[in-house]
Amino acid sequence: MADRSTRSKFASTVATFATGIASLATLIVGWQLAVGFLDIPQYVLPTPLGVWHALVAGLSESPTSPAGFWYQLESTLKATIFGFLIGSALGIAIAALMAEFRFVQKFIFPYVVGFQSLPKVAIAPLYVIWFGYQIESKVAMSATLTLFPVLLNSLEGFSATERDRLELLASLDASRWQTFWFMKFPAALPFVFAGLNLGIVYSLLGTIVAEFIGAQRGMGVIITQLQMVADTAGVFAALIVLAATGYVLISIMRFLQAHFVFWSGATSEADR
Amino acid sequence: MSVAGLRKPYPGNLAVVGAGPCAVSGQRSVLLSATRVEKVYGKGGPDSVRALDEVNVTLSDGEFVSVVGPSGCGKSTLMKLIAGLYPPSGGTINYRGQDVKKPQRGMGIVFQTPVLLPWLTILENVLLPIRVLKSDKAAATERGMKLLEMVGLAGFQNKYPSALSGGMQQRAAIVRSLIHDPSLLLMDEPFGALDALTRERMTVELQRIWLMNKKTVFFITHSILESVFLSDRVIVMSARPGRIIKEFEIPFARPRDFRLTTEAEFGAYVAEIRQLLGTTNDG
Repeated sequence: MADRSTRSKFASTVATFATGIASLATLIVGWQLAVGFLDIPQYVLPTPLGVWHALVAGLSESPTSPAGFWYQLESTLKATIFGFLIGSALGIAIAALMAEFRFVQKFIFPYVVGFQSLPKVAIAPLYVIWFGYQIESKVAMSATLTLFPVLLNSLEGFSATERDRLELLASLDASRWQTFWFMKFPAALPFVFAGLNLGIVYSLLGTIVAEFIGAQRGMGVIITQLQMVADTAGVFAALIVLAATGYVLISIMRFLQAHFVFWSGATSEADR
Repeated sequence: MSVAGLRKPYPGNLAVVGAGPCAVSGQRSVLLSATRVEKVYGKGGPDSVRALDEVNVTLSDGEFVSVVGPSGCGKSTLMKLIAGLYPPSGGTINYRGQDVKKPQRGMGIVFQTPVLLPWLTILENVLLPIRVLKSDKAAATERGMKLLEMVGLAGFQNKYPSALSGGMQQRAAIVRSLIHDPSLLLMDEPFGALDALTRERMTVELQRIWLMNKKTVFFITHSILESVFLSDRVIVMSARPGRIIKEFEIPFARPRDFRLTTEAEFGAYVAEIRQLLGTTNDG
């Protein structure tokens, strides 16, 4: 029985994979043929082959060449990671303080709600004024976008603690700090990670937006430059690089999540 | 009104203590006394609920005392007040000559569910009180391993709780409650969530653990049979408001065998308590 079910699971995985490949192949071939038959100009819609050439060209440049993707990606990644770390650290810390201290919650929550309703990318020009055209404004934008999903999810995690567990810690006369560190914090981790998974996507988004508005390096910068010279194939190639980057970042988060909240069966379902 | 030491195991002649303050049993010294303890939920308006009404309990050193009563008779509330988790609305609780104002370090609690933390291994769970109390970890680890072996969990110390059955988890929880060598063990329907067979085995197991450690145990249950089997003394409570209606001294020699439960003398206790509760409790 068990053997049959694992086999059928394997078979269904293979089937899903094969369907995916077939779908992608159909799309690419259809795209290539459509561009040729309909005589669409390259600057409107490049052929997949054109995109491929642009991608290979961009990736073949040396990491020190501003014309290549590596040079630009390094800057984008750096800002994304710094922004993510700062934004998530702040988000978790503020959420913990809000959950632990009622007055902090009352003090801060109106601003959180207010900020939530603001399209936060609209702050980007302000950050350029404050932090200039270097990496600082990108980090600030990235951190700002990371902060909110991490804060709100963590807050939910820190607030939902089981009465039995609280009584267990209380019966040992545990201090507030001990109760937080031994019980509330680990118990909240599934929620924190749900926030971090969103946060990593938002931090990349924040960096790119900041690069659009005003920066000297980064994938956002090269995309604007390619757009100016109507190198649409190059734009597509840059988008593929960004998608791959996002995928890698999300995969790293999933790996960390599986490592730290291995005990929580509910998480993987909750954020699926 | 001391009747301790009275050992007349015959029906109709049961050693009975009324609802008044109970004196010290035998030569044992008093470990804990609760005097005229009340608990009212709500702010005294028409919606407030009187969970406990003038309850007097005395626990002597090394004594095994059970509380039986219907659901909602306030027995869990009583335990939580004794544990110092919540303040009583009236009356005093005295532990080793001191007023209980907050949880005492000399107490261990077993809840109805194991309450093991799923991100810690069994051994880490067992050592949680040691971490909180900042006691000697090396000595506690050794003790924890011995206790785990004693409850039949040797080899499971590095497993996570999810890998253990409900009964095994509850045994780990019992080990956790013993790890810091408490003088008083408070157990709130610890076997409530277990199936009948596991429950029977755990009852015998608990007696064995108690005989080896001789802690004072305050045991909450709704199983009359369990209470009579395990206890030196059974306190019977009624519901709404929660009151003590009677206390029974249980004289049977230890260790008690589960076959005892089928004997007439044993059955007489069970029957009388059941009649007091006016229920067809499953025992």
